[in-house]
Amino acid sequence: MWLPIFGLLIGVLLGLLTDLKIPVEYSNYLSIAVLAALDTLFGGIRAHLQNLYDERVFVSGFFFNIILAASLAFLGVHLGVDLYLAAIFAFGVRLFQNIAVIRRILLSRQPKNVKKPEKS
Amino acid sequence: MNQRKGFVFTIVATILGFMLAIQFQTIKEPEIQETRDTWEIRGELLNELQTQSKLVKEIRALEESIADYKTDMTSSKEQVLKETLEDLKQEAGLTAVKGPGVVLIIKPVPEAIVLGEEVNNISPELLKRLINELNMYDAEHISVNGQRVINTTVIRDINGQTKIDGYPLTDYPIEIKVIAEDSVKLSDRLKVSESIEEFFIDNLEVNISNQPSEVTIPAYKESITIRHMEPALESEKGGNT
Repeated sequence: MWLPIFGLLIGVLLGLLTDLKIPVEYSNYLSIAVLAALDTLFGGIRAHLQNLYDERVFVSGFFFNIILAASLAFLGVHLGVDLYLAAIFAFGVRLFQNIAVIRRILLSRQPKNVKKPEKS
Repeated sequence: MNQRKGFVFTIVATILGFMLAIQFQTIKEPEIQETRDTWEIRGELLNELQTQSKLVKEIRALEESIADYKTDMTSSKEQVLKETLEDLKQEAGLTAVKGPGVVLIIKPVPEAIVLGEEVNNISPELLKRLINELNMYDAEHISVNGQRVINTTVIRDINGQTKIDGYPLTDYPIEIKVIAEDSVKLSDRLKVSESIEEFFIDNLEVNISNQPSEVTIPAYKESITIRHMEPALESEKGGNT
C-alpha cells in the first residue's frame, strides 16, 4: 500500500535532483503524458479495488496511453488543430470517473457506524 | 501475485513522479521581476552589443588563423617533397649510412705467400658474385674499400686491373662493409656461402667479422649519370604506348 507512494516520492526526488529540463515547446507533450499516466494509475487502483486488475492491461495501458496522447498532441501541432484538448478531455473525464468510483468503494468499506452519505 | 502488483504500481508511480518533477521544473518560471528602467536596459543593451562586436572580431581573427593554417598545409607539401627526396637519395646511395653491419676483409692466404705463389688481383667475377650474394642475403648498403656500391656501380677488368667505378682494387686487404637489417643472420649465411670458398681457389681468404658492429658506409662520390631514362610527359599518363 505504501510502496507506490514511496515510489512516487522517489521519482519526484530523482526528477528534482537530476535538474533535468526539457525544452519549453515539448512541455505540452509531457503534461499530456503526465495526465495519461495519472489516468492509468487511478484506473489501475480502481480495477484493483474492484478485483478486475489485469497486469498486462495495466502496464500496456500505461505506456500506450502516454504514447497515444503524445502523438495526438504532435499531430495536432502539425495540423494546426488543438488535438491535445481531445486527450485532455478524455483523460480528465476518465480521471474524475475513476476517482469517484474509488471514493465510493472506499466509503462503502468504512465501518457503517456513520450513516452512509447520499450518493451524488 | 499481490507483491508483483505492488511492484508494478511502484514502478508506474515512480515514472509518474519523475515526469511530474520534470514538468514542474520545466514550467517553473524564473521568479525575477523586471525592476530596471529604460536607461538601465539601454545600458545593458549597449554592453551586450559591445560583447557582440568583440566576439565578431574574435571570430574574424580565428578565421584568419584557419586560412593561415590552410596555406601552411599547402606549403608543407614542399616539406613532404624534401623528405621524399631525402629518402630517395638514401636509397640511391647518395648519403652516408650508419647502422649495424658486417665487415669482410679479403686478403691473400698466408700459406700462399710463404710458398711463393703469385697472388693475382681479385677477379671482377668473383667480387661481383660476392656482392650478388650479399644482396641476396638482404644486404642494404655495401661499400668496397670505401667505394659505395650502387645500382650503376661497375666492377670490371681494365688493363689487367680490377676496378670498381674506376678505382683500382690492387692492394690487399680489401675491406667490404655491409649494412643489413639482420646483420647476424647475414654473417651466419656468409660463413657457409659458396663464394667464400671460391676465393680460396684464387689464394684469397675472406674474414668475416664475428661481432656485428656499427658500420659507416660513405656516400657515392660521383654524380649519377642517367642516360637511358627520360621523365614521362604529363599527357602520356600511365600508358605503355
